[in-house]
Amino acid sequence: MTTYDTQSGAQAGTRGPGWAVRILGWVCVIFGLVIFVGGVWLLVLGGSWYYALAGAGLIATGVLLNHGSMNAVWLYLAVWAATMVWAWWESGADLWAQVPRMLSPTVILVLVLLCIPALRRTAPRTA
Amino acid sequence: MTDRTPTPGARVLTALLASTTLTMTPLALAPAFAQDSGTDTQTELAPESETEAAQDDEAAPEAEAEPEAEAETDAETEAEGDTETGTEADADAETASETDAEATAETDTDTEAASDAESTTDGEATADTETTSETDTAEDTDAPADQSETGTAETAATEAGSETASGEDAGEQVAEEETGPESAPFSAAEMPQVGADWPFYGGGPDAQRYTPLDQITPENVGGLERAFVYHTGDMPTGSAEGKYSPESTPVKVGDDLLMCSAMNILISIDAATGEENWRYDPEVPNEAIPYGASCRGVAVWTDPQKAEDEACKTTLMEGTIDARLIAVDAATGEPCADFGEGGQVDLWDGIGEKVPGWYAVTAPPTIVRGVAVTGAQVKDGQAEDAPSGVIRGYDARTGELVWAWDLAAPDEMRDGPPEGEVYTRGTPNVWATALADEELGYVYLPLGNSSVDYYGSNRSEVENEYATSLVALDATTGEEAWKFQTVRNDVWDYDLGSQPTLLDYQGTPAVLLPSKQGDIYILDRETGEPLTPVGEITDLPQGDIEPDYVADSQPVSEWHTLRKDPLTEKDMWGFTPIDQLWCRIKFRQANYEGYLTPPSTEPYIQYPGYNGGSDWGSVAVDPERGLIIANYNDIPNYNYLVPREEADAKGWKSIEQRQEADNGGGDGGGAEGAGDPQIGAPYAIQVNAGWRSGLTGMPCTNPPYGGIRAIDIETGETVWDQPIGTARRNGPFGIPSMLPMKIGTPNNGGSVITAGGLIFIGAATDNLFRAIDMETGETLWSDVLPAGGQANPIAYEVDGEQYVLIAPGGHHFMETGVSDAVIAYKLPAQD
Repeated sequence: MTTYDTQSGAQAGTRGPGWAVRILGWVCVIFGLVIFVGGVWLLVLGGSWYYALAGAGLIATGVLLNHGSMNAVWLYLAVWAATMVWAWWESGADLWAQVPRMLSPTVILVLVLLCIPALRRTAPRTA
Repeated sequence: MTDRTPTPGARVLTALLASTTLTMTPLALAPAFAQDSGTDTQTELAPESETEAAQDDEAAPEAEAEPEAEAETDAETEAEGDTETGTEADADAETASETDAEATAETDTDTEAASDAESTTDGEATADTETTSETDTAEDTDAPADQSETGTAETAATEAGSETASGEDAGEQVAEEETGPESAPFSAAEMPQVGADWPFYGGGPDAQRYTPLDQITPENVGGLERAFVYHTGDMPTGSAEGKYSPESTPVKVGDDLLMCSAMNILISIDAATGEENWRYDPEVPNEAIPYGASCRGVAVWTDPQKAEDEACKTTLMEGTIDARLIAVDAATGEPCADFGEGGQVDLWDGIGEKVPGWYAVTAPPTIVRGVAVTGAQVKDGQAEDAPSGVIRGYDARTGELVWAWDLAAPDEMRDGPPEGEVYTRGTPNVWATALADEELGYVYLPLGNSSVDYYGSNRSEVENEYATSLVALDATTGEEAWKFQTVRNDVWDYDLGSQPTLLDYQGTPAVLLPSKQGDIYILDRETGEPLTPVGEITDLPQGDIEPDYVADSQPVSEWHTLRKDPLTEKDMWGFTPIDQLWCRIKFRQANYEGYLTPPSTEPYIQYPGYNGGSDWGSVAVDPERGLIIANYNDIPNYNYLVPREEADAKGWKSIEQRQEADNGGGDGGGAEGAGDPQIGAPYAIQVNAGWRSGLTGMPCTNPPYGGIRAIDIETGETVWDQPIGTARRNGPFGIPSMLPMKIGTPNNGGSVITAGGLIFIGAATDNLFRAIDMETGETLWSDVLPAGGQANPIAYEVDGEQYVLIAPGGHHFMETGVSDAVIAYKLPAQD
């Protein structure tokens, strides 16, 4: 995998994930870490499990993206779907309440989906 | 999109990043609270004995409500005697007598007379009758109900006779009265009614904020246009910058609109054109500004004994933030020479050392039978040794002190403090607008707390007994009639901020009392006994700070409350999962055991916050449709007590200490309660009003932050409930989103109901003035104001045309700008 990391994304069609994919990967890792750490803190205080889990999922997605793995997409789809279910369970049709719950995860989902073409080029070989 | 993913992707990414990070900034839905101060005290038991007494004889109350709460409480005090007791419907006669009994000393005949007169009232239901002498001139109103015009003793007598039993007594008394027509109190006078005029702060004498005008309707309101925009010219300069919250509501009498500006300039303008007739500037210095420069309103009083063309036949009166009571001729703006010294009375008299900004009047005086009654705002949270909350009644013609009511020493101080003494310091005050009951001769006073809000162990018994109560005084003598307490030993700053309203409740003359904790009570005007069920919340947490002081049970309205369900972690908000998570952590870190969680040195949540529920805008009542319209806030505060040494280390000082230190600098103008020193108590207080995230500045809780609802007076049930305020002025980075979506913002300022079926209200932080359909709560029309509409609107008529008016002064803490505009609206001309 290191190999892929060293590839230049600018060379389309070649093997590593493009730099955009990698930036997204790192963004997921960073935000994932923040959410995971905060989520564990919240758990300790007796609060919701969601954030620790979602944080972990986001970190894993980021790592997979950095590895150019298509699994990043599948994993994040699962995280996103679980988030939607949780969000609905917590707040239902209250749109304002869904802003923090659904908006950012959905934006990330769109970005992850946008990586599919790049991952297609690189991932199969990796796998 | 193949490979060059980069570009698009990158953009989105950046955007995302931005949004996330930035997110933080977000909505400045500022929570604001315009709180005002008051002082507070605590309380203990609730309602007094009167209640009981009353009950016995009473006929009344349908709902009597549970005795528990109140009754038990203390019998002490009042028991002795007060007027309050008795009476009820017919029984007034007795009342009168009782009164004297105790009162003895001072009472004068008139008083009694008065009382009977009042009694009369009960007979009939509604409130419109009241009489008072104030205002008005020429047009009096369309409204019915006038019985006597003269307004003098006879009138009263007559009515009395006719309607109720006590006729005879009344008769006699009246007779007596006639002998001394020289000074206030006068007998009950005819009250000007709302209609073409808006003669009182609250509309009519009942303060229902309801107009019988019906020209503007849901069908034609879409065509409403500005009739004129008048500018008072009173804008902040120098140290007043950032401290304006005028909250001003004019009255309309005859052809004129009479008003005060933020710095107490009295102004008369033409009600149809907005042209200025005159102005009188009392030259209030900037240093006098307490929490904010506010002048909520003015009072108008017509002297029954003066000829039409005499100077000050009709007087315009205001209390100023530098604590003066000012009277000018409503026709000319000339100071009333016979009133006090050159048209003013110094309210600092008897209060003690003068510390500008600590003692300030922001509400209009309440005039009952020729007695102008006023309390004052005592800046919250400064020190236990603070100016007194004394209530004083002045002769509306001469400005002479008729009585003073110092709740800690009512008898000793009745004629003012003895030489060398001052009114009892630190007692609960009345900063809110009181209400006159000309028929009964009462003034209803919504009391606040003692000066230190969040710590109570040092408060005196008597402070505990009266704080956060509605107190009815005989306005002619200053004697207490009854009281009704809404919070015992208040350590939440749930002082009563809403002006009460008179209404008829199932045939009984009643007074409606909204509160900051959201509970709405309806009380018998004569006895103070609740007519709607009052329950008791028991087993309340008492905390570690002063468990012996914090009450383990509190009264609660079982009839209606504006308070929402307790917060849960799920109610935490943000713009992204990250700031929402942060608020969830803060939520879990705080002490929170529901509403009435006692203060602690660890963070604790107070919900609703000190801004209500219902605050100074109060509620409106539609007697025709039988609905109460209440706008309310729905936001928590996030607080913690700060031990004295720590507060000292932070350099938190009281207003007095600051002024000694830097020779007059006023205060930082922070939010109410943010870093208040509470000198004399072992703890200072830090309040995060509206609980905004330290990370983003956004509210930590879910919208809506404010709403407006219609309540059925018969049942106490909610008919409709809508968020009030859109997101248009709020958005990430403080950039207005321009979104017309309703989000429900913090709001301050009341509404007006028109017989045409509309509610007019500004109040929200979106700076819109809107017309809401009375039936559904939907907004049918709105106009963008130059600053926040944190003021009560009014409605009136000139030459057959209906006007609606608001003075959108903005509010410093609500971050809604500042303006000196007064804007009137009407329908376009017909041809």
